[in-house]
Amino acid sequence: MDFLTKFPVMDRKSLMELRKGIDQTFREFSRAYGDGIEAFFDPLLFFLIKLEKLLLATPWPIILLVLGGLAWLGSRSWKLVVGSVIAFMLIGYFGMWKDCMATVAIITVCTIMCIAVGIPIGVLMARSNRVERSMLPVLDMMQTIPSFVYLIPILMLLGIGKIPGLIAVCIYAIPPVIRLTNLGIREVDKETIEASEAFGATKLQKLRTVQIPLALPTVFAGVNQTIMMALAMVVIASMIGVKGLGVPILRAISNQYLALGLFNGLAIVALAIIFDRITQEYGRRIQKHRGIKK
Amino acid sequence: MKKIRNIIFSTLVLIGFTSFSGVANAGCGKLVIAEQNWASAELMANVDKIILEKGYGCEVELIPGATMPTFTSMDEKGEPDMNPEQWANAVYTPLKKAVSEKRLIIANKAPITGLGEGWWITPGTVEKIPEIKGMTAMEILEHPEWFPSKEDPSKGAFVGCPAGWGCQLANANLFRAFEMEKKGWVLIDPGSAAGLDGTISKAADSGSPWFGYYWNPTSMVGKYGLIPVDFGVKFHSRDNWDNCITKAEQDCADPKPTAWTKSEVNSIVTANFAKTGGKDALNYVKKRTYPGDVMNGMLVYMAENQAKGSDAAIEFLSKHENVWGKWVSGAAKKKIKAGL
Repeated sequence: MDFLTKFPVMDRKSLMELRKGIDQTFREFSRAYGDGIEAFFDPLLFFLIKLEKLLLATPWPIILLVLGGLAWLGSRSWKLVVGSVIAFMLIGYFGMWKDCMATVAIITVCTIMCIAVGIPIGVLMARSNRVERSMLPVLDMMQTIPSFVYLIPILMLLGIGKIPGLIAVCIYAIPPVIRLTNLGIREVDKETIEASEAFGATKLQKLRTVQIPLALPTVFAGVNQTIMMALAMVVIASMIGVKGLGVPILRAISNQYLALGLFNGLAIVALAIIFDRITQEYGRRIQKHRGIKK
Repeated sequence: MKKIRNIIFSTLVLIGFTSFSGVANAGCGKLVIAEQNWASAELMANVDKIILEKGYGCEVELIPGATMPTFTSMDEKGEPDMNPEQWANAVYTPLKKAVSEKRLIIANKAPITGLGEGWWITPGTVEKIPEIKGMTAMEILEHPEWFPSKEDPSKGAFVGCPAGWGCQLANANLFRAFEMEKKGWVLIDPGSAAGLDGTISKAADSGSPWFGYYWNPTSMVGKYGLIPVDFGVKFHSRDNWDNCITKAEQDCADPKPTAWTKSEVNSIVTANFAKTGGKDALNYVKKRTYPGDVMNGMLVYMAENQAKGSDAAIEFLSKHENVWGKWVSGAAKKKIKAGL
């Protein structure tokens, strides 16, 4: 009867040995390769620091101007331009300008990195069913595994700071852009592709001139999702020493500072809404331009 | 309404205990103990749980906690009933008030001996920079170039306390008091306990210098042999510490350089604990003092085996009977040993 009521469990000692073994192996790995991996990411760190410094050194009216300009270029809507400028002015007025710029810098670099890595992977997945089959579970895992779990190895490998934070954010934020690139290319009309093949397009030409342009609105939806998810990770990234709007939120959580948490939380929401609306509007515009209806 | 709920509740508890024949002790009821999220607090909470349950027939529930949230909840709501390891400096003023208003009781003024907060360096630092040996913080502060920051190598990195911890404010204010920015330092916010420990183990593993805030007793101090740094100045004054250094930056206009205040850790209980737990339970908490070296040994054990508080409590109770045997009555000791 004991067998039925008690789940057969690995004995305590071997379980402990197993856990210790895994830890030890990873520790040895990080001792051996940690410095090399860190050096590999140095250019990215350099870029990130430069961008943050630039954002902080630039006089605020110019930033607002650039932001308004970007909003206009993306959306062509006056309402959005005025809305985002006001939101940023409020963020600055409530004393969150510096943190906000740090967050904008990391989100920007993260988005660029996700696009640079994600779109090629998405294209590969679209071309080969085998790659797609092997990538899908990996993507599922990246999206569902609790972020604290991969914070530990990242910490052991790279310490604290901007780069480990960036990687943690990217692990969580990159899946949508990969998934939707794959989907977008797979959904391109078969007949259009046949037509291009009939004209003797090479594989690369087909990809560049037919598949990617037609998939662009879907890819763009993926980029939009990636930005949103990156913003959602701001607080977690702050737990490993990334400056920005997440730090005051952590402080607010441990001290029950209601107002501080609310202000910074709302600032993240404002950033998210601005980025979301601008990229969505932009996506809609390229769709309209191509005459594709949803 | 509350009264009715209390009556129903206590009846239920009573029924629960009478049906739990033999072990139950009419003197002890249901208690909630905070299990704070660091190793020594986990161990103490779990040892308390086992001793109070097996030895005194209490019914103990552990709930997760952390310095500030747990204190606030105990102060405002009277829940949980006990915090085995309350770092008192973080809550000095409100704790004094709560004690004078009889809402909270400091049941044990020193549950662990030989502890302290302050600034530390890793042994690897001394190996790399031999002249740092025996230097005070005041002297080390003249050499930011010894601890180059990853993000801006022209500045020295001083690793402070994670956002939201009581010590974060103290470190930020000391950073200003010692004019560290002018001397070429940056204050690194490690973001979380894991982040802070990560910087230490990474520096210790790679042999690079590390200078920052930490506290004892901890497995980190035991495992890596962290070396405490003398501040080189005396403790300035209670007023400077309580009304400036531990306050938010805007409430501390003129922080004075000072050594870290003497660390005080208490076991605090609510008025309800004294009532529900009874005299015996309170007496146990009063007597329970962990010697610093035993605690450090337990912490290293926990870190090396990734032991949870509950596992470590069993290890402690089975290995260190000579320590805990003195905290409890002979009868309780027998019952606890039998229950292990």
